[in-house]
Amino acid sequence: MRYVYKDLQVRHIPHTTQCTNRKVRWHNEDLMHITVHVWRNRKPPKRDMEDNNHDKSSRSWFKITVPCGRKYDKDWLLNSIQNHCSVPIKPVDFHYVKMQAQFFVQDYCTASALKNASYKIRGEQNQKIRILVNHSTEPHSVQNKLSPEQMEQLKLTVNKRYDVFQKALDLQSLRFDPNLVNHDIDMILNRRSCMTVTLKIIEENFPELLSLNLCSNKLYQLNGLSDIIHKAPKVKILNLSKNKLKSVWELDKIKGMKLDELWLEGNPLCNNFSDHSTYVSAIRNSFPKLLCLDGQHLPQSLNVEMKTPDIMKPCKESYKGSEHLKNLLMNFLQKYYWTYDFGDRQDLVFAYHDEACFSLAIPFIPEDPVPSSLSKYSKGSRNLKKCKDPVLRIQFLKHTKHDIVDFLSVLPKTRHDLNSFLVDVCLQTEKMLCFSVSGLFSEVEGVHQPHVCTFTQTFIAIPANNSSLCIVNEQLSVNDGGPNKTQNSSTPVPTSLSSSKPTLSEEQENMVQAFAIQSGMKREWSLKCLEDNEWNYTIAGQVFTILKAEGTIPEEAFKQSP
Amino acid sequence: MRRFKRDWSYRDRTRERRAVYYEEPHSSQWSRGPRIREEVVTPPLRDHAALSSPMASSVDFKTYVDQACRAAEEFVNIYYETMDKRRRVLTRLYLDKATLIWNGNVVTGLEALANFFEMLPSSEFQVNMLDCQPVHEQATPSQTTVLVVTSGSVKFDGNKQHYFNQNFLLTAHSTPTNTVWKIASDCFRFQDWASS
Repeated sequence: MRYVYKDLQVRHIPHTTQCTNRKVRWHNEDLMHITVHVWRNRKPPKRDMEDNNHDKSSRSWFKITVPCGRKYDKDWLLNSIQNHCSVPIKPVDFHYVKMQAQFFVQDYCTASALKNASYKIRGEQNQKIRILVNHSTEPHSVQNKLSPEQMEQLKLTVNKRYDVFQKALDLQSLRFDPNLVNHDIDMILNRRSCMTVTLKIIEENFPELLSLNLCSNKLYQLNGLSDIIHKAPKVKILNLSKNKLKSVWELDKIKGMKLDELWLEGNPLCNNFSDHSTYVSAIRNSFPKLLCLDGQHLPQSLNVEMKTPDIMKPCKESYKGSEHLKNLLMNFLQKYYWTYDFGDRQDLVFAYHDEACFSLAIPFIPEDPVPSSLSKYSKGSRNLKKCKDPVLRIQFLKHTKHDIVDFLSVLPKTRHDLNSFLVDVCLQTEKMLCFSVSGLFSEVEGVHQPHVCTFTQTFIAIPANNSSLCIVNEQLSVNDGGPNKTQNSSTPVPTSLSSSKPTLSEEQENMVQAFAIQSGMKREWSLKCLEDNEWNYTIAGQVFTILKAEGTIPEEAFKQSP
Repeated sequence: MRRFKRDWSYRDRTRERRAVYYEEPHSSQWSRGPRIREEVVTPPLRDHAALSSPMASSVDFKTYVDQACRAAEEFVNIYYETMDKRRRVLTRLYLDKATLIWNGNVVTGLEALANFFEMLPSSEFQVNMLDCQPVHEQATPSQTTVLVVTSGSVKFDGNKQHYFNQNFLLTAHSTPTNTVWKIASDCFRFQDWASS
């Protein structure tokens, strides 16, 4: 259907002769929306009589509709439309009607440019955006434009109602303000045009507005108020009481406001809720940071504030499985690392499956390709970022259990710090268990200063017949703890020591004190040593002497000599 | 005529809903930027044929390792790029029932994952270690799985830089033309000792 350039005074459609002042819409999937205004027994609007003498193009307004326009961000939508049109578009009265976005443009060229842009813009899911163009009457904002004198009067009235000290504007029952009534200005704030004009005055004169009172203005929708977010962004107190708001959905339109206080009593929407708390939580959905509703202080919701720092705070361990699993893992790990540190690594062959895989990797930093501290590990390192040759990649992956233990046997001797271990159970099924161990170990081979490294070892194991685990995949990644970080590396240890402090018997207390004096270690360390050796004083002493000779006990364990 | 037109648009819409490879960033300058892939796709897998001779098994093992390496490299590139630049679509890389263990916090299910990633501040990852292994068939029967281990450093907005270690279990979904890999489990930890 092409544009029909006619005066839209009266249209006679046979089946609609009965209705007065009603808009009739035909919906037709592939054709445009047709909006028909029918007037009967009513004089045509003033503009037709005035505009007869004007140029045709100046008075024709077109309504542009974008179906599903509410989905898109307003600025993005208008920019995209502008990009596809050769003429500058000056949208007037942009607003939403249900899911559609609508605005008006004034002349024929713009309208036809917009019609051509239909189906050319693509939205997020790559769907084409339709633009529908229709004739229309003047938009309300143009129709109800106030004369300059009226504007002045309105400004004066609003100024009178403004409290400078509190930065509060009281627009209660604005329509019935004597000044306005005397000058025949009808400020029905429900009307978009009136609201827009008021907001414009606020924007120009009181941009720092903190409190706005719109009580008793018979507002039944807040479409026009949504602009307040841009025009008076600092408003913290909003009074919408004694209006005609029917649903909380209206509040969604002003969701962007950062309100501290909100008044809604006296609106029909308050009766929608069965009790006060549902009402409060519904309002809170739109304004999560609200402090005061209808004069009542609201308890601060903790979860909103606490969540973000919580996320960044790591948990110690994540044993969310059964006790049985926990014990199984503990036993397995203790046995494994004891054999690795103190026993013959060839014995580890019992822990592995025949066709197990093992690989070792150290980080690859281009600036420092082979850090000296990790040189012993770099030869066998299978870091895919560094090792690109497919043959080498296969070679470095140790495949059978014998290959694996042979490789492990040549790695440097270590002492793992079991207290530093953090175990995460990544995945657990009936057939397998995947877990990852992070912690510290120190190299004890021929270095006078024990060198601390951090490691993460990921295991995939299947259940073995003797209620133990059989490793099918293992990956070890080693990183540098750093020489000057030895101090730091011991700090986690005392905390875990102090947390496990059961009540001691007197005898045990005496033993601890004696041990502390004899060894020169601090109380917690002496306690730990004795505990580990089952409170056997002699053996504890022997173990202590051995470890001290090896130099593996960090300095912190010893009391500072005065 | 009209009916034909309607069918066409309907088909277009369904096709576009299914298309996963075309995702334009939501920006005001509408331009076709470089398309970042959203799924980890590799050439089709060979069958898990019954292995008779040791020679056959070693050949197959090499293939598995190669395939695992390929999947792992591709995956790591896509994952960290998505995590840094297109966080909202990160959950597409996860299986429906995938689990994430983030510094000990357990997050299960796509919805919880989506919420979690939304709350996490924006990130800048630098991966300097990557290793992978094909998971033994006995551990994951009839489901080809790859273990991927990465480490490096990460800077979250408003927090200091941390070293991290992360491991993934990727499972394969095979179609005749390609294989799509998705995350079954993800375990992430800061390496708090090494960071200052």
